[in-house]
Amino acid sequence: MAICIETRNVSKIFGGLTAVNDVNLVVEDKSITSIIGPNGAGKTTLFNCISGYYTPEIGQILYNGNEIHGLPTFTIASIGISRTYQNIRLFSEMTAIENIMVGQHPQQKNIWIDSMLATKRHRTEYSATVEEARKLLKFVGLEGLGDHLAKNLPYGAQRRLEIARALGNKPKLLLLDEPTAGMNPQETGHMTSFIRSLRDDLGITIILIEHDMRVVMDISDQIAVLDYGEKIAEGKPKDIQSNQRVIEAYLGPGGSVLTQKYQQRKKLRHDAKS
Amino acid sequence: MKNTSDQNISKIKLSKFLRPLITFLISSFLLYRIYEVVFIRQQFTPDIWVRFAISGLILGGMYALIAIGYTLVYGIMFMINFAHGEVMMLGAFGGYFIFELFNFIPTPTVADPDLTFLNSQPILSIILAFVAGVTIAGLSGYFLEKIAYRPLRKAPRLILLITAIGASTALQNLAMLLFGPTRKNVINPMILERSAGWSVLVSGKPVLITYTGVFSLVLSALLMVALYLVVQKTKLGRSMRAVAQDKNTAALMGVDVDDVISKTFIISGMLAGAAGVMWDIHMGLVNHYTGFLPGIKAFTAAVMGGIGNIPGAMLGGILLGMLEAVGPAALGIDFQLKDVIAFTILILVLIVRPSGILGEKLSEEKL
Amino acid sequence: MSNLSLKNGRNAGIVFGIIILIMFSTGFTLIGNQLVAKLIGNEGFKGLDQFKVFVIFMVLMGLWNGSTAARKPAIAKDEMMPAIANGLVAGLVFGVFSLVISVFFGTMLIIKVDIRNYLVNISPESTKLFLFDQTPVLGGAYHFGIALITSFAGAFLAHFTRTNQSLRNFIANSKRSVSDFSGSPKVVSTVNNQYFKIASYLVLAALLIIIPRQWGSYWNYVFGTVGIYVLLGLGLNIITGWAGQLVIGYVAFFAVGAYSFSLLTSPAPHNLMWNFWIALAVGVVAAAVSGLLIGLPILNLRGDYLAIVTLGLAEIIRILLKSDMLTDFTGGPRGLQKVGGPTLLGNSITSDIDFMYLIIIAVLVVTFFAYRLQNSRTGKAWYAINLDETVARATGINAYSSKLLALTLSAAVAGLAGALFASRNQFTGPDDHALMVSINVICLVIVGGIGNIPGIFLGAFALKGLPEILREIENYRLLVFGVLLIVMMRIRPEGFLPSQRPKLEHPIDLAKSGKEE
Repeated sequence: MAICIETRNVSKIFGGLTAVNDVNLVVEDKSITSIIGPNGAGKTTLFNCISGYYTPEIGQILYNGNEIHGLPTFTIASIGISRTYQNIRLFSEMTAIENIMVGQHPQQKNIWIDSMLATKRHRTEYSATVEEARKLLKFVGLEGLGDHLAKNLPYGAQRRLEIARALGNKPKLLLLDEPTAGMNPQETGHMTSFIRSLRDDLGITIILIEHDMRVVMDISDQIAVLDYGEKIAEGKPKDIQSNQRVIEAYLGPGGSVLTQKYQQRKKLRHDAKS
Repeated sequence: MKNTSDQNISKIKLSKFLRPLITFLISSFLLYRIYEVVFIRQQFTPDIWVRFAISGLILGGMYALIAIGYTLVYGIMFMINFAHGEVMMLGAFGGYFIFELFNFIPTPTVADPDLTFLNSQPILSIILAFVAGVTIAGLSGYFLEKIAYRPLRKAPRLILLITAIGASTALQNLAMLLFGPTRKNVINPMILERSAGWSVLVSGKPVLITYTGVFSLVLSALLMVALYLVVQKTKLGRSMRAVAQDKNTAALMGVDVDDVISKTFIISGMLAGAAGVMWDIHMGLVNHYTGFLPGIKAFTAAVMGGIGNIPGAMLGGILLGMLEAVGPAALGIDFQLKDVIAFTILILVLIVRPSGILGEKLSEEKL
Repeated sequence: MSNLSLKNGRNAGIVFGIIILIMFSTGFTLIGNQLVAKLIGNEGFKGLDQFKVFVIFMVLMGLWNGSTAARKPAIAKDEMMPAIANGLVAGLVFGVFSLVISVFFGTMLIIKVDIRNYLVNISPESTKLFLFDQTPVLGGAYHFGIALITSFAGAFLAHFTRTNQSLRNFIANSKRSVSDFSGSPKVVSTVNNQYFKIASYLVLAALLIIIPRQWGSYWNYVFGTVGIYVLLGLGLNIITGWAGQLVIGYVAFFAVGAYSFSLLTSPAPHNLMWNFWIALAVGVVAAAVSGLLIGLPILNLRGDYLAIVTLGLAEIIRILLKSDMLTDFTGGPRGLQKVGGPTLLGNSITSDIDFMYLIIIAVLVVTFFAYRLQNSRTGKAWYAINLDETVARATGINAYSSKLLALTLSAAVAGLAGALFASRNQFTGPDDHALMVSINVICLVIVGGIGNIPGIFLGAFALKGLPEILREIENYRLLVFGVLLIVMMRIRPEGFLPSQRPKLEHPIDLAKSGKEE
């Protein structure tokens, strides 16, 4: 399978703090990759490096084989990398549908003079954009809420709207920063299947940061674990579950012993039952 | 897709290359011009240069005091306190009225029947003038923050900036309506006669160093040292720095953010007030427009030194004063245009080095 | 009852006391009185009647004071005592202020100290008016009495309107019925009906054609100025209202437009005498280029730098124009005389009526383009930058070039306004381009409703048209503007006519709803 995005030895340093340290990550096309790790492990910083907010001091980021580190954010967005935010950041004073239309910005070609003179390019693109935005609104299940201001939407709808906005520029790669944060189990279930449908129906590669292990284990093709800015493990969900370093990162030193004991006891109980 | 990214890469390289190029072109032009004026035309003798430099230094001290106020407020609230120059103007009026009042109180002696309080107790008068100016300016800073800015703590920065412009316009025009548009001559005590001073010989010619100038310079230096100590050594200073770093965390650590902001406004107002009374004593003219240009220039100074950076504001202020005094002569332009220099410097600094000479000290804005 | 707080009353009293002190010492009490006299008409407005007007003014102030004291939400809703007590305290404090003012300045008048050396606007007439032509103590006592009684009455009225159920219901009902009416489907469909729209456009066009002919030249002058300020407001709205970047020195671009136009058409100092239309185009382009050049280094920096840099630019331009250095080139402090007027097919059309048409056409064209831009791709990008620049960039908007475009277009409109202004006055000088112009424009954009085009018209009429009519308060205008900016930002930052977002998911389809009927 083709590689969608690859980070090579990426490091990001703030003053004395190395937020991301020598991270190598290979994400294949049309896969779902989860990045997990304790708080402050550098997950969001890695996202910010990929989406162009930060330029890593060391290392390269390759997208479809092209170097993209150091490019401005808007260029990265316009070549098909979209993202959402941990704390939802919508254009609060715009309507939902307008938010999506802003997301479609890189897809359009018309410039100000087209709009001023209402040229054919403006007219066709404008109606196409509105049509497309309505479709996206329907796709994320917000039909009928399009004319409400984004700030007046309920929380779950805001999360969906943010994803819809990110889908506006027809991304090949979607970075989701804690998409299920603050949701109840039912909403989380909907979101999980929604993310999966993004990959299956639209063929988008997805990287997500997530704390809910059930979601992570459920949908990921690949999991990367960060701790103190370093990648400490990578692999299929099964491998990660039993990885000692991961357990220690989450539970502290000695954590692996604890889980071993737990599993031994579980096994014993299982044996005793049988 | 590859095409777009390649185009953008080339664009970026161009802009990275453009900034040093512009810097180089501008500085080489300026250097050539200065060389031409100073060495080839030799319009001015060394004593005149010294005179310019001294007046620049004195002016710079005042700019520095005002600039500190901008930098403190900007560091904490990310806002240009546009009305800061007007606070200085109010302080200047405070000093002016005290001098007028004392000149009105007769204290006749046998030797001099016309003697007034101003000259019989000159040091007390000066101290009281400073007390009045500093108090008025400090209070106006406090009320400005309380009435205009505090209700907008969570508002977007554009709204704060517009409010600040409103406050500036209102205060300026209030002063004009109260005190009239004409310039008022400030009466100094005799011991600070504006034309008196020490005479120093520079290349055979006398250069007058006025008492008022030395007085202002020494006082502004003292105030700057005092401020630095307050910010670095006291509990208030520590909370100010904490609030500037991160308001929310500071609040969690038990710092009363509103109180600290309020005190910051008082301190910056007091410094501006002191600068205002110095302006009275040294320049001798005051009207409602007195604060406007020094205010904007002091902001320029703060940007030049690196906004949010207190030593930067001091350095920027003094540098700006010097450039403004020496600049027109060195560039061989009309002295009427000295105000243009400050604004040109502002634009040049923002082109060449937007973070200022000593670098900005601002908390990182959250993504 | 034990913890009866009188803080509200005290604060209201202090605020109103300071307001009356400022009004008196800036001379506004006198000027305001004269203004009222002028509005009502001159007959019978001599001698004592002037004092009646002032008494009415003080009574109104007292009522307001009392109701403010009683209305503060801190006071429990239904209790009468706290409201009245606060009103009385407010009246007491307010009265003391007035008493002190009367006694102090009255005494000054009697002992013939000319206070005008220090407080220029306190004339003997104004003091006499404040004392109702009585002795200081008696006048002060009158003030005290008025303040106390009216504040009490104000507090009582405020309490009454708040607690009286039938009155509250009536107010709520009338509010609801108004909003019901304007929002009802019938009204909406009528307003959006195709024919209704065409008809209203036709009526508007007819009015715009007829009215300038009926007005005298004075009204054409006043509304011409309003038109120029509408243009400036529309221009500033692009960069400040939509893209959210404050430009304080907007007058710089106005000056560039005016001067480049004037230099090309004026007989002195260069005697170029270009054609009006070419010079107009050059003026617009010159202003646009100056906007572009100033934006290039600044717009990728923090937002508020643009504000201060443009302010600096405006000052640079003003100082340069005033300086002797450029006298030979720009006419110096005296400015440029005999700036050319418009020509059409070889005929000069300089009459004020024709010029009014020109301004109307310019306003209409710019408004038309502004509407086109507002919800276009570009307009949405601007608004996104305004709301959250970081996210806007992450959605693929090149914030830098978008802002640069906004500033350039803004500057171009200012250049157009400047050229028209110079051409209409047949003169331009450094004093036409003082910073006050910028403050006026910022103010009108914000008061009308930031980012909203009809709001700009409203703002321009309110802020530029009214003061032209009420010449007396000219001196107080900037003070009022400053206070207005602070108050607006605090209580209604979206302006009087806030902008509305378009309905795109379920658009009220104009063409369809018209055809279906």
